[in-house]
Amino acid sequence: MGAYLARRSMAAVPLLLGVLTLVFLLVEAAPGDPFRFEPASGVSGAAQRTLRRAFDADRPLVARYVDWMRGFLVGDLGVSFTYRRPVSDLIREAGANTIVLAGLATLLQFLLGTAVGLAAAGSRRRWVDRSLTGLSSLVYSLPSFWLGLALVWLFSVRLGWLPVSQMHSVDAAEHSPGWRLVDFLRHLVLPCLALTLPAAGGIALYVREEVRALLGRAFVQSARARGIGEKALVMRHSLRSALLPVVNLFGLALPGILGGSVVLEVLFAWPGMGRLAYQAVLAKDEPLVLGCAWVTSVLVVVGSMMADLMSSWVDPRAREEAM
Amino acid sequence: MRRSGWEVVLTSAWLGAVLLAGICAPWLAPLPPDLQEDVAGARYLPPLTRADALRLSSERVQVVTSLRATPAGWTGIRNGRREEFAASEVLGVPTRRFYLLGTDSLGRDLTSRLLFGIRHSLVVTASSALLAVVLGVAVGSVAGLAGRAWDAGLMRGVDVIRCVPRLLLVLVCASLFPPSTLLLVLVLGATTWTGLARILRGEMRVLSRSDLAAAARASGASPLRVALLHLLPQTAPLLAVNTALRLADIILLEAALSLLGIAAPPPAVSLGGVMASGSDALADAWWIAAWPGLLIAGMVFALRSAGARFLRLPDPPSVA
Repeated sequence: MGAYLARRSMAAVPLLLGVLTLVFLLVEAAPGDPFRFEPASGVSGAAQRTLRRAFDADRPLVARYVDWMRGFLVGDLGVSFTYRRPVSDLIREAGANTIVLAGLATLLQFLLGTAVGLAAAGSRRRWVDRSLTGLSSLVYSLPSFWLGLALVWLFSVRLGWLPVSQMHSVDAAEHSPGWRLVDFLRHLVLPCLALTLPAAGGIALYVREEVRALLGRAFVQSARARGIGEKALVMRHSLRSALLPVVNLFGLALPGILGGSVVLEVLFAWPGMGRLAYQAVLAKDEPLVLGCAWVTSVLVVVGSMMADLMSSWVDPRAREEAM
Repeated sequence: MRRSGWEVVLTSAWLGAVLLAGICAPWLAPLPPDLQEDVAGARYLPPLTRADALRLSSERVQVVTSLRATPAGWTGIRNGRREEFAASEVLGVPTRRFYLLGTDSLGRDLTSRLLFGIRHSLVVTASSALLAVVLGVAVGSVAGLAGRAWDAGLMRGVDVIRCVPRLLLVLVCASLFPPSTLLLVLVLGATTWTGLARILRGEMRVLSRSDLAAAARASGASPLRVALLHLLPQTAPLLAVNTALRLADIILLEAALSLLGIAAPPPAVSLGGVMASGSDALADAWWIAAWPGLLIAGMVFALRSAGARFLRLPDPPSVA
């Protein structure tokens, strides 16, 4: 197991290097220059040159590339052009906000999706299965930000129960910690729901298919022949095997937890990673774009590694195959 | 998922209707999609509104509801207020307007915009999916068939592209060139092909060891001929499923990009664009965002059920 882990990590290094190089070249190729000001702005040419030097943006391409690569190794991601703060600080703050939103949503997706999928697969009544499956595929088809808009329209515009966007109310600082927590949770509900429901629908369909396929297999049939009830068949005999692909999905969902859902974060003005990266690209804030890309790429690589590790833990056969 | 016949009929009928609506949009649309007759008078009219367009002598058009003839001319409600129009002011007879799905913030008819939006989205998603499938098949087949060096090189490249955050890729690509429909197609196609490349590579590796490939090689077919005429047709069911699922993904992605401001420039009307424009007017007019969203959901739903159905096809008959 240790050797397996080591080999997977070794294979990840060139992958990460490749991703970082590609992102660097992409950002370099994008037009626009954050240090070019309109003549009317009153910023002199000398001041522009000073700014450029202060942010280390005046050095040749290769030198900056090498510098950045070295920076990533020691965890120094440079200083953002637009925020004038270390990129690592910005990412830490935005990352925390995203973990709360996307982490909770991911957890709910898997709990809800697995539960609905199991209920649909295990139900002996055809209409229960069909309505759960139908509902899941319906929800799975909704564009997540359309669902977000619909929720905002219902709960904020029509009913006025929940706030439209942001993470806190404007006057939150004046209130007690308890009030602030409730305020925060109220802001969390809508983006979390919009993020949870479509993916939960997809997971439910997936789990149902897997469990249904397993229920037809010989080992389950023999258990059924021994007189074991349908519920026990689903829960005890197929669940473990059916969870394998779910575990795999979870590893693949990991980058999403930190990468954030850009569209929903933009829609709900949630100050997370996705929104940070989006604004950084629009402002051509090179260090910030590269920093965000670095975090996401590391997560993608780690996520797929974790998926492999977890499936080899649940199912020893997968370990044999991967070796 | 076992499906009964009527579900298949329903899915096909719905997809066919959407396709037909897109193709026939110029003849079905009651008004030009970007006609702004009267921004103040026609904006945010709810669905099923009946109105009349009055052409005034100043060549301006006024859209009014509950129009009535009076001894002096016409009276009707425009922008929430009752207004009088002298008979001498009005040119000709008022034209009837029926806004089936309502109007948007510039007083444009949403029915017409949606019809043209379907047309645009069909063109964009179909060409992007075509591009993605061609790229995926080409890279996947070469990696699966052309030997270890090609395999290693191409698949590492695919891994790298898969690990780059997709939105970053899209945003940077989109900021490189001025916005156009072609760019949107290129961006959507170029960022969605990697999954298919991996699947095709696996499939081709298996197929290249089959008796089918051996027989073709033994009969003297060139490697290219074996790949294109003997092995590729074997992957047709797989490709059909993946194309259907890819189309659904691209429709969703295109809608999401519209919200982030990456879309074909204005004369083009896209479903995602209409939905994005409705997000600003949620309190005034829920219908602007509602219709395109439901339409997109319906298309995605149908495409995915079609894909799920094909997934259950038996294996293609063996040649050997």
